[in-house]
Amino acid sequence: MLQIIIQGLLLSGLYALIAVGFTLIFSIGRVLNLAYGAYLMIGGYSYFYFSQILGLPKIAGVVIAALIGVVTGLLIYRLVVKTLKGDSVAIEIATLILAVVLQAGVVLLFGDASKILLPIIPGVVRVEGAAVTYNVLVATVASWVILISLYLFVRRTHMGRAMQAVSMDVKGAAISGIDPDRVNMVTWGISGALGAIAGVFFASYTQLYPGMWVSPLIIAVAVVIVGGIGSIIGTLIVAHVIGYMEVIVTSAIAPELRGVVTMLLIIGVLVLRPKGLFGREEL
Amino acid sequence: MTSLLTVSNLVKKFGGLTATNDVSFTVEKGDSLALIGPNGAGKTTIFSQIMGEVRQTSGTIHLAGRDIGGMSTAARIRHGISRTYQVPRPFSDMTVLENIRVGLMPDNLTQMVFGRVDHDREEALALSVGLAPQDLHRSPSELSMGDLRKLEMARTMATNPNVMLLDEVFAGLTVGEIAQISELIQSMRREGMTFLIVSHDLKALEPLVDRAIAINQGQKIAEGSFSEVMDNEAVVASYLGG
Amino acid sequence: MNIRWYHLALWTAFIVGMFFLPQLVSKGTLRTIIFANYLAIFAISWDVLSGRTGYVSFGHPFLIGLGAYTTAILTKRFDVPVEISIPAAVLVTMVGGSLLFLPALRVRGSYFALVTLAFMELMYQLVQVIRPDLTGGTRGMSGIQTLTRGAVNGYYLSFGLIASLGFGMWLLMKTRLGTALSAIGMNEEAVRGSGLNTTKLKLAAFMLSAFVAGLGGAFYVHYLGSIAPRALFDINFVFTIIVAAILGGASTIIGPIFGAFFLTFLLEYLRPYLPGAERYFIYGGIALVLYMFEPKGLHHVLQMALSAIKGKSRS
Ligand SMILES: Nc1ncnc2c1ncn2[C@@H]1O[C@H](COP(=O)(O)OP(=O)(O)O)[C@@H](O)[C@H]1O
Ligand SMILES: [Mg+2]
Repeated sequence: MLQIIIQGLLLSGLYALIAVGFTLIFSIGRVLNLAYGAYLMIGGYSYFYFSQILGLPKIAGVVIAALIGVVTGLLIYRLVVKTLKGDSVAIEIATLILAVVLQAGVVLLFGDASKILLPIIPGVVRVEGAAVTYNVLVATVASWVILISLYLFVRRTHMGRAMQAVSMDVKGAAISGIDPDRVNMVTWGISGALGAIAGVFFASYTQLYPGMWVSPLIIAVAVVIVGGIGSIIGTLIVAHVIGYMEVIVTSAIAPELRGVVTMLLIIGVLVLRPKGLFGREEL
Repeated sequence: MTSLLTVSNLVKKFGGLTATNDVSFTVEKGDSLALIGPNGAGKTTIFSQIMGEVRQTSGTIHLAGRDIGGMSTAARIRHGISRTYQVPRPFSDMTVLENIRVGLMPDNLTQMVFGRVDHDREEALALSVGLAPQDLHRSPSELSMGDLRKLEMARTMATNPNVMLLDEVFAGLTVGEIAQISELIQSMRREGMTFLIVSHDLKALEPLVDRAIAINQGQKIAEGSFSEVMDNEAVVASYLGG
Repeated sequence: MNIRWYHLALWTAFIVGMFFLPQLVSKGTLRTIIFANYLAIFAISWDVLSGRTGYVSFGHPFLIGLGAYTTAILTKRFDVPVEISIPAAVLVTMVGGSLLFLPALRVRGSYFALVTLAFMELMYQLVQVIRPDLTGGTRGMSGIQTLTRGAVNGYYLSFGLIASLGFGMWLLMKTRLGTALSAIGMNEEAVRGSGLNTTKLKLAAFMLSAFVAGLGGAFYVHYLGSIAPRALFDINFVFTIIVAAILGGASTIIGPIFGAFFLTFLLEYLRPYLPGAERYFIYGGIALVLYMFEPKGLHHVLQMALSAIKGKSRS
């Protein structure tokens, strides 16, 4: 029982971190960034390259990965999203193509084979007979710290409030002197950083390989569909619903079915509450 | 005798914002009613609720005695009501005639596939709103704002309505274009069409309507003849404030 | 209907040309063309739904897979003859697909895109865990009955399919149904405001798309003789289908066919220089740039060029 609670907490924390960067862009820019999963891939590989191949300190590896994530996010916003002028269908398709191109780019640089990422902090702690690696523990703590800081940023800072205003009403925000373009830039940058950091943890949780961007994208998708768009708190709650469901199904029914219940949850929510659990009026 | 369009106690809440606050009015057959109010007063939202594009929080909408407040937009249009949009967004990769074709289509897949396209009707509609013959095969991107509004009128008329809701009909038009659209509305009124018209150009609006109601912050603040409403203190204040 | 003599002339030229093709090219090239034919079918299926209505499907292999797995399981495990299993596969694709996709058509376009992506992943996981004795689990199935022997016959079958499906869809899309579906992609609100039930129209688009995907998937699996879930439910496969459709020209029939051939041969010619997944880097890059700056595709570019030539010869 306690094991399920702990496992669920660990997995959900990671899922929340994965999803939050994706929902941020969806709620503020109203666009689906299918290249979001690629941030995780880029983050994971950057960390691998700088801390494991070049041997830089691990914390430097994480920071560099985050910075590369920021740059990637900004470039995608500038070169793709702005060029397509808010045509949401075109952005969806273009970012999917871009994700495949980025994946091919990683294959070009690092090869097809999967890489093993050394744990950020090695070691194991035993809780009630369940082995919890320090690595996973660090990932969960880091994800909580990041989510809380993001929450405070959005609530307390001037830029954060501007982001909220743009997410509610772009035109209204523009009238009250907010530059939606700047807000979008900041959002895409933050989203890139969040994705890249999530990628470091995700890769150390699973493994590092070029196709690794698909499953976190699916997780983010599930969180958005189930939760509707918008709040960080909502993302956190839904990430826990999905995380716990998967852990419970894995331990109580069959590990192979864990993805299946997530999908059933998606269908259920769409049928019963098309706007999502925390959905918004205009969707 | 029931009125053609009756809106009763309409309320629409967007989260914390009450965009329509207990609005009621009626439009008789052959009447033309102006709906005025400052930007953000809630005029477009009332149109969207009448058409079923936005679902009201509470209140009822009757068309010719029938409760249409729960119907789909398509069903409402079949019952004889349609609207134009504040910002004309025509089907951009189609010609003018093809745009009108969409308005003329029956809501029936078999007829859509096997029925014949009524080219004469398309052309007649386009010409009746004052579009020039050489524009009929052009793409909307080549049209002026005035012609786009005419196209919007034609597509709306193609659904064969008894009541037309016109949203900001004069926005972005030249003086000449305003005169043309006014003339079109006048001639349709003579033929018995019923109108509900939103416009910021009050001078152009006045001759086109029998009555007016004024909306501010989602609430009806005045109703009566056009000049009565325009002289109403609350209405004057709302425009100054807005 | 807006059908001109030159449309029919082009179709005739296409069909006659394709008919005599096996006399002109090698067996190897023929096999490449067979793949292009099937890709064209999948791209047409995608385009009827997504290219026209703007409801982007990122999970098209889900539909193709429904058709392919149904006929593969029926023939291999239950010895059902293909005359029955293939129609059954099409039916399963249409019914099963709509049961699952329908809820998604109720919400805004972006959500539809998300759901389709999730469904492809669901299908991938399901075929591995639910009755692996039937589906072959992770390894898939092989030794599935093939309908033809040799490249030439395989070619004629695939050509017959693309010619009849392509021409049939082209005729259908020339009617007002096609106009209405394209209108949804341009401005769904105005289609609703024209008195049309857009849910019904989207469902029709979806059914047509599922019909073509199911049929294509079923014949494809009987051509390959095997099925492998990792290759089928793969984001790179989605990518190939979508790029074929948009590169050629979305919202047309000739576009996806043209795009499929262009893409297949580009991949084939890049193979000697870039053997692995790196090819996607070049070809995805080309696709991305083309799509961003010429979203209407090569079909549109050709059209512009043709009318420019016509304009010149007239003046
Ligand atoms: N879909 C929506 N979601 C949230 N608020 C909305 C929505 N549509 C309109 N509003 C708000 O309702 C109010 C009335 O808007 P509107 O009806 O467009 O005014 P008008 O047409 O009179 O200028 C405005 O404050 C607007 O921001
Ligand atoms: Mg308005």
